[in-house]
Amino acid sequence: MVKAIESCVHCGFCLAVCPTYNVLGEEMDSPRGRIYLMKSVLEGKIEQEDAQPYIDRCLGCTACVPACPSGVQYGELLIGYRGQSEAQRNRPLLDRVQRTMIRETLPYPDRFRLAAQAGRIGSLFEQALPEQMRAMIGLLPQQLPPAQPMPEIYPAKGPRRACVAFLSGCVQTVLAPDINHATLRVLAENGVETIIPRGQGCCGSMMMHIGETPLAQQLARKNLDVFPTDVDAIVTNAAGCGSGMHEYGLLFAHDPAEEQARAFAERVQDVTVFLDSLGFRPPQPLPQPMKVIYQDACHLLHAQGIQAPPRRLLGSVPNLTLLELNDGGLCCGSAGTYNLEQPEIAGELGRRKAERIIRLGADAVVSGNIGCLTQIRTHLEAKNQAIPLYHTIQLLDLAYHGAI
Amino acid sequence: MNEQKRLSVIKTPFLDALREIYPADRLLAGSVQALAYESDALTAFNARPQAVVLPETPDEVIETVRLCSREQIPFVARGSGTSLSGGSLPVAEGIVIALNRLNRIKRIDAETRVAVVEPGVINLDISRAAEPYGLYYAPDPSSQSICTIGGNLAFNSGGAHCLKYGMTSNHILGMTVVLADGEVVTLGSASLEGVGVGPDLVGLFVGSEGLFGIALEITVRLLPKPERYCTVMAAYDDLGTAGDAVAQVVASGLLPGAMEIMDRLAIKAAEAAVHAGYPPDAAAIVIVELEGETRQVDEEFKALQAVIQASGARHIHIAKDADERARIWKGRKSAFSAVGRLSPDYIVQDGVVPRGHLGHALTEINRLSREYGLEVANVFHAGDGNLHPLILFDGNQAGALERAEALAGEILRMCVALGGSITGEHGVGMEKKAYMTTMFNETDMDTMKAIRMQMDPGLIANRGKMFPGD
Amino acid sequence: MSLQPQTIADVQDIVRAGGHLLPRGGGSKPGLSTPTRGTTSIELRNLAGILEYEPGEYTFTAYAGTPVAEVATELARNGQYMPFDPLLAGHGATLGGTVAANTAGSGRYRYGGVRDFILGVRFVDGQGQLVRSGGKVVKNAAGFDLSKFMVGSLGRYGIMVEMSFKVFPRPAVYHTLMLRYGSLADALQATFRLSAAPFEPDAVDLEPQPDKSCQFLLRVGGLESTLPDRIDRLRTFFNDQSAAIDQAHILKGDEETALWIGINEFEWTPSQTDAVVKVPLSPRQVVDLDRAVPDSIRRYTCAGHVAWLAVSKVELLADTLTRLNLTGLRLTGEPGDVILGSRLGLSMAQRVKQALDPAAVFGEA
Repeated sequence: MVKAIESCVHCGFCLAVCPTYNVLGEEMDSPRGRIYLMKSVLEGKIEQEDAQPYIDRCLGCTACVPACPSGVQYGELLIGYRGQSEAQRNRPLLDRVQRTMIRETLPYPDRFRLAAQAGRIGSLFEQALPEQMRAMIGLLPQQLPPAQPMPEIYPAKGPRRACVAFLSGCVQTVLAPDINHATLRVLAENGVETIIPRGQGCCGSMMMHIGETPLAQQLARKNLDVFPTDVDAIVTNAAGCGSGMHEYGLLFAHDPAEEQARAFAERVQDVTVFLDSLGFRPPQPLPQPMKVIYQDACHLLHAQGIQAPPRRLLGSVPNLTLLELNDGGLCCGSAGTYNLEQPEIAGELGRRKAERIIRLGADAVVSGNIGCLTQIRTHLEAKNQAIPLYHTIQLLDLAYHGAI
Repeated sequence: MNEQKRLSVIKTPFLDALREIYPADRLLAGSVQALAYESDALTAFNARPQAVVLPETPDEVIETVRLCSREQIPFVARGSGTSLSGGSLPVAEGIVIALNRLNRIKRIDAETRVAVVEPGVINLDISRAAEPYGLYYAPDPSSQSICTIGGNLAFNSGGAHCLKYGMTSNHILGMTVVLADGEVVTLGSASLEGVGVGPDLVGLFVGSEGLFGIALEITVRLLPKPERYCTVMAAYDDLGTAGDAVAQVVASGLLPGAMEIMDRLAIKAAEAAVHAGYPPDAAAIVIVELEGETRQVDEEFKALQAVIQASGARHIHIAKDADERARIWKGRKSAFSAVGRLSPDYIVQDGVVPRGHLGHALTEINRLSREYGLEVANVFHAGDGNLHPLILFDGNQAGALERAEALAGEILRMCVALGGSITGEHGVGMEKKAYMTTMFNETDMDTMKAIRMQMDPGLIANRGKMFPGD
Repeated sequence: MSLQPQTIADVQDIVRAGGHLLPRGGGSKPGLSTPTRGTTSIELRNLAGILEYEPGEYTFTAYAGTPVAEVATELARNGQYMPFDPLLAGHGATLGGTVAANTAGSGRYRYGGVRDFILGVRFVDGQGQLVRSGGKVVKNAAGFDLSKFMVGSLGRYGIMVEMSFKVFPRPAVYHTLMLRYGSLADALQATFRLSAAPFEPDAVDLEPQPDKSCQFLLRVGGLESTLPDRIDRLRTFFNDQSAAIDQAHILKGDEETALWIGINEFEWTPSQTDAVVKVPLSPRQVVDLDRAVPDSIRRYTCAGHVAWLAVSKVELLADTLTRLNLTGLRLTGEPGDVILGSRLGLSMAQRVKQALDPAAVFGEA
């Protein structure tokens, strides 16, 4: 942490790309400001409690990392700081209830499914609930799709070109189980055999980002144990999971499992990157021309530097035209649990994103992260816009099957 | 106690009066909030203001300035806090007027090539807004993605492309300002001539470092985007030869849009930051950019190529497309901050020497660097003779900062002795005020002070900047 | 009465002695430099000469009384020029007068006016002190920029004695494209279309004609090898885009040079003119102004950003300018009120006046 703080030269280049700074225009709500506050807390100049609101408002989108000429590893700094401060902080009751709910449900698909259903019932009493809780409920879909169990192994179509292990994830399997199945089908179309290791669970990224380090370790450790090492890659279709699993080495620093965690992290690849480097087999032409906005998920673009591969895959589909938002990949406000914890700023960012999308006029919006899709759908619907949204892999899947 | 709660406890008549103007969420008076504003991009200086206000209308700024004037409370206007001279350093007993929310682009008149903007508008956002019309705002400080036009105006900011079209001052046509005693005046016009008749008050206000007052609305001129850019990057085996090459380009009668030099250390840092594709083993690179009508640029390029080839360049590379050009410039513009990778601390200098003395100045900087035992990275606007030596040091070592400052001082005195200036584009601010008297004599200084007294009799506007001993 | 200082020290002595003083250079703008009763004329023609000129620096420093023609000749020897295009060189205009009156010609369109090329100044203030501002290098951000302030100052704030300028390499050749439009409004429309196009003309002038049509002049400078192509493109551009009523006409060589010299020497103004007045304005205001001054000879330079009017009734023009919220500077005619119409920023100018010349030795702000 000290190194990350010391390498900041306070130039302010990060302000330009910071979503909260964009919305609030306040120094405390910029990466530079937060680093300065974290530094001051660590030096004992100010109380942790006083700096906390501003650290909490950080989305963790890490757009500031590639924007930083001095190479400050803000993402690592934030995770480290949040991990350290979470242990010491005294949250208000409502916050604690909410965090407990997040902690106890999101990482576990079965529990989350139950909670989500209960939440829909809760929505009947929405007006009586505190605003914080309303935000949580507002993001739930009207109806949950039925669960779709994953096979243990999904064979390649035709000769096998590669074999991967797949992280099926947690929240996404409940909210949109189809994305996982689409992933299996698209991999198969490209001659990839997929193993879905039994006993796997939530990757722990979300807990890592909100400072729940022990829980994150506990979740990750399970995956270290069950994922095979003799595959070409560990593939994920969730931006947040991919970026979190890349940080397993950091999560297990000074732990006996550190070596194993690093090796695991090195094998992790987003499904679009894996397909792009394998040599993607383009689907058949779309029946009619389609204009598609690819919305960069922060945890793909900023955290993992993944910009070209998904665009190349989509761009290879005949009859599909990619449109660019040209907003520097500014976060949509979803950011893991952020839209639950900071609904106002998340809402503003969501509104701005929706407005840009509407202005550009597209037939569909595509993103590599379920969180972004949920957030953008909410804000497009608020503006009565029925633009279809897809996960990148879903759109490719539909293209293969001529279903679009 | 919670920060927000603690805030409401602080009660002074002045803060109460501010509360009349601002709702609670736009009046930041907590210690953590003040802390975040205690420095700009020059962290060697810091001071915590008693409050930060976030006006959203020009009227709120005017009311605030009038209140400050009445109560004799110092104020500092601040944009994005990217000053490299400590120009937006707060005054401890005063307030910061943060203009970030005064960020509307009010009007773009593409047909007459002007834009009217508020001071908190980000430099690059003007060009973004003008782009659909084929226009852009020319001054391009390295921090252009975040620095505000109000700050550019106050410090007459420059950039890499000042050779042909000048600095901020050459692109501001008119403005409405509130002077430090609360009077609101409108200066200049939407004509390319600006003031045009009578003394050029716009020219006087630009670069006055916030000592006269605050610009509330600014009319800038826009230029048509050049039809063609030709960006040439030449690598040299030593810095002196690179400097000579620049002189030869100038002597050949070409007028490039930009001419930059980076030395080995700067190349290394920038390359680590943005992978610009700079030759890593060069002692120096020269970046020359021609811009203009395609036909003219293509012809000029032939001449340029001949000059560069004869100048002893080891390697010449021409940016093949807009992406590569953008990368080359991104590397250059990231160079200062990227030096943060090489050294925990550094001081950026901004001296100017006549172009003909570039070689001499660089040799001298080299000698001083050895003498002081401090590494110096050089990045500069060679076409303008505007040097940016970055003096690297480790602030944790006792006496290192003092040694670095002494070295910086020697460089500045050398620039003045060679007939140049202590600052080309960063402004005097806090950092160079001690050197003003090397450039200006007592009468010159007294005259400037007399003008300041007329504009700000209470000395409340950005007190402590520009004038030594203030 | 007139005094002719030989040195800067002489100027200081004269100012210290007090009185009411009005500096004068070549007298090419008599409206500004003719002393009224009780005012002493300070003739600066002996304080002349180039002090420093390094072509490689793109800068020169000269005494205020140096004729611009002399500077232009010296620069031309090195393929350079003053891009702000000083007016009235043939009438003996000096550097000091050009700065004090802010008289840039049509060529200022390309790179900027007097304010954009002045780097530094030394002047004698109202107490006889010699003050320096700015510098001699092309880039400088130290201190208040009084050299810019002096542009247009009309000698009311101090007597400039020395100044430094930035210069540029001069285009090797110029061609001028001439078009005729049915009206001034049509010609303005042509400049509007030009605004978004990536052409780089040196001058864009509009000349309303007695028959209501409007002559449109576009001067382009550059390399001899590329100029025909560039002019051709411009011709095509205007053919495609606008309603010129005549075939485009291209001027080259001596004829072309003579045309622009004539414009800068005010040869277009009739001899019985009461006064020539400069009015900076937005091109959006050109049609309104033009309609209000039908009896004058008008010329709009800088794509409609500066109006030059040759009028016979100055008082009428002053009222018109006030009504249109415009300001004019009268360069010729009898001494007296030279700034016509509305005045912006006067109170701020008065503050500077208090600092530089509290006793008003150089007149009012």
